[in-house]
Amino acid sequence: MIRVFQCEDSLTGIMTGVYMAWDSHLGHQNVRLETACDQNMELFCEYVQVEPDLLRAEKVIKTVRTRLGEEAYEMMAYASACPHAGKADAIYRMIVLGLHLPDGKNISGMLTQPDVRLVFELKRKVWHIAHRYMGFVRFRELENGVLLSEIDAEADILALIAPHFSDRLPLENWLIYDRRRKKAAVHRAGGGHILLEEVDEEFMDRLRVSAEDDCYDALWKSFHRSIGIESRSNKQLQMHMLPMKFRSFMNEFQDRKI
Amino acid sequence: MNYRIDQQMNLQEKLEILADAAKYDVACTSSGVDRRNSGKGVGNCMTPGICHSFSADGRCISLLKILFTNECIYDCKYCINRRSNDVPRASFTPQEVCDLTIGFYKRNYIEGLFLSSGIMHNPNVTMELLYQTLYKLRTEYHFEGYIHVKAIPGADAEIIERTGYLADRMSVNLELPTAEGLERLAPQKKRPKMLAPIRQVQAIRQQNKQELTVYRHAPRFVPAGQSTQMIIGATGENDFQIMKVAEHMYKKYEMKRVFYSAFIRVNDDSLLPALPGGPPLLREHRLYQADWLLRYYGFETEELLSEEKPDFNVFLDPKCDWALRHLEQFPVEVMKADYYTLLRVPGIGYKSAQRIVRARRLGTLDYTVLKKMGVVLKRAIYFITCGGKQMYPVKLEEDYILRNILDGKEMLPPGVKPIPAYEQLSLFDDPRFSV
Ligand code: SF4
Repeated sequence: MIRVFQCEDSLTGIMTGVYMAWDSHLGHQNVRLETACDQNMELFCEYVQVEPDLLRAEKVIKTVRTRLGEEAYEMMAYASACPHAGKADAIYRMIVLGLHLPDGKNISGMLTQPDVRLVFELKRKVWHIAHRYMGFVRFRELENGVLLSEIDAEADILALIAPHFSDRLPLENWLIYDRRRKKAAVHRAGGGHILLEEVDEEFMDRLRVSAEDDCYDALWKSFHRSIGIESRSNKQLQMHMLPMKFRSFMNEFQDRKI
Repeated sequence: MNYRIDQQMNLQEKLEILADAAKYDVACTSSGVDRRNSGKGVGNCMTPGICHSFSADGRCISLLKILFTNECIYDCKYCINRRSNDVPRASFTPQEVCDLTIGFYKRNYIEGLFLSSGIMHNPNVTMELLYQTLYKLRTEYHFEGYIHVKAIPGADAEIIERTGYLADRMSVNLELPTAEGLERLAPQKKRPKMLAPIRQVQAIRQQNKQELTVYRHAPRFVPAGQSTQMIIGATGENDFQIMKVAEHMYKKYEMKRVFYSAFIRVNDDSLLPALPGGPPLLREHRLYQADWLLRYYGFETEELLSEEKPDFNVFLDPKCDWALRHLEQFPVEVMKADYYTLLRVPGIGYKSAQRIVRARRLGTLDYTVLKKMGVVLKRAIYFITCGGKQMYPVKLEEDYILRNILDGKEMLPPGVKPIPAYEQLSLFDDPRFSV
């Protein structure tokens, strides 16, 4: 009988799962990790729901960072943001394997191991998405001075990009709303940022953009138009670099109704 | 924003003119420096750089790329802003550039500012205006994002130095690969005069590096280094000459980047070549590929080209072309070959080479693993063995490999047209085969 630990689909959830699986002392071959509801139940498996627990997750994360290194931790943090059925178990196996190495820090380069390889691949994918959003996020300035932005990413990147904007715009009040997951990162001027869950998108409709923002919107659009070279015009390349799915939130590809 | 009446031209019209006039400068990267925000300003920098949008020509938009003014006392033949052209002229004020930069930056439209300029009155006046703008932006607006600024040849060293302490990157464009080309198309520009600020910036950077080892918080001078740009195809230089110049700029002047810009005929001038096929984009692409080989793969120009073979093969990327001429060095065993040997295998990039070296210490590689590491097996299989085995039987013969590689399409950037038929291979021998 295999015991399957079903964890919440988040870094905290998965790391709590790692803790529970390890702590069960059933033997690594007799346990499996899953992120909840992404798989059908199987026969001969016993399912256990794991409630995300910050303290337990932190313990695992601390072990990972000290014994397996920052690179391995970063791989796991990014991979856990990727929608993929096998990620939780791969992260678990990677930790188990790493802790058995004489030098755990070697684990992040062990791409000959399928589990490490999967975590590596997912990390690369998510890093790419997050990096693109760092550039493609567009803030609108509201009448009260708050900067507001919406995203709709395939991976759960909000927690990964928020620190970047906190560092970049420390003196602004800003908010990034993940429409797909109904989550928001909120930053207060001079303070840090927090992540809010279950944020209803209706609040977005009530917000009003400042008049100055319309000016900058128009200026940016004319800059965007002017900077292209006609005799090198290449819509195919533009589409390749900046696929449609990103454009719906980028003002240079919208007509703003004033 | 309240300068609607300013000089009878509003900000939007100015921006259109001065962005349009700046667009032929190809550098738009925001890379090369890592800087966190001090907690008191706007902005930070990330080493790999960030693209914020893409223009209709498919190029990355990272910086607010503008000229301070498109007035110019010079008359370079290839330039849209030359004195003798009748084009609408405009100039920003430092205040306007600051408003645009901050307004765009806060909305995450851009990664920073790229400020270039035509020559207004004389080089000193122009350089001083660029300095004033950067000074305002850095000290009044506490802007901590990326700034790339032009060093104006002929301006006093003292102004250039002051400016360099406010910028992340500085550049002087060589414009044309050789002094003869310059003499022909930009007679008012002299090569030695253009090299002077490049040398100066290099010298201060070296000195600054030493200061920084002693005082960690000393002000940093042009931390992201220098870059330059050459126009390709306006004058008759071959690829060998161009790459020699680039190599020289990397080695002698410690350039961070050399950019290549396919010539675009914006002026109707008898001294400029007609380009019925449009700008030479495939040639530009090959030069960039070769440039990577110099910077990241340990190649020297002389290994790739020579007096006898002075131009790149338009059908093949330069690395593949090199490998086919050096088959005696292959196949390479990926479990054993050192890093520098791996780098020379077509289909293995420098990142995959690093991954291979790391992973094989702790395990055994196979072709599936190589693929996942990012090795392009389609190209690499002819040149490697893994654990003593080929992926499937292939011959290590020039004709055979060439035929197979050319059959499978090369990954060119979308829109860069490949040369259609392989039957035209005889054209290889014509070095001036137009691309
Ligand atoms: S100096 Fe610069 S702006 Fe002036 S004409 Fe020459 S290339 Fe153009």
